[in-house]
Amino acid sequence: MKNGREMSLDYVLNLEIPFTTSRQAQIAAKVLVPDPILKPQDFQVEYLSQDNILAVHFRGIDDRVLRVGVSSVIDSIKTIIETIDELD
Amino acid sequence: MTTPSAIYKHGDELEKHFQVDINNARYKTTNGSTTGPSEHVLNAGQIDRDRPSDPKLLDNTESSSPSYTPLSLLRMQLTGLQDDINIFLTERMEVAKMKKSKLASDAEEKRIEEEIKVLLDGGDDDNSETENEQ
Repeated sequence: MKNGREMSLDYVLNLEIPFTTSRQAQIAAKVLVPDPILKPQDFQVEYLSQDNILAVHFRGIDDRVLRVGVSSVIDSIKTIIETIDELD
Repeated sequence: MTTPSAIYKHGDELEKHFQVDINNARYKTTNGSTTGPSEHVLNAGQIDRDRPSDPKLLDNTESSSPSYTPLSLLRMQLTGLQDDINIFLTERMEVAKMKKSKLASDAEEKRIEEEIKVLLDGGDDDNSETENEQ
């Protein structure tokens, strides 16, 4: 039941976060992946760990959606970093 | 150790790079300027229970200048980067809002002009007034 209107997600932000080890970057990616996106037609995010780098690729339909989504994910990443720092 | 970074792109017209300056104080705190409750809310007495925790000090740090763990440094740098991104995207949102407002204003002005034109073109009986005077 498609509504026929597909807006392109051409507002893009690529974020790279260097952890101290590749294991930490992998853990972060695995923790983030299951988080659901409420409106995938408006905003999408992909996570990839490359060596010690966590690469996050954001795409949104406009700057407002991008701002909300990016800031929220970064908050999650900061929590992950803090947790690893305390427990690893 | 490298620092977090980001690149924003919109089509072919705009690309913006975000880099951390490790000597800048905005990248040396876990308290972001664009996250958390507003000043207005805090001044009203609200307590920020979700306030980020302080960066973690390295063990056996006895010197006067604190040394933080690498992941705490990363967290502080990411906080500053998040602020940079938020500020930039908020500015972009304002520009889009102003453009939209101007378009709506121009459209309204054009509509009014059309209505006036229709009204003026509709009253085309000036000769009847002249005949009545005679």
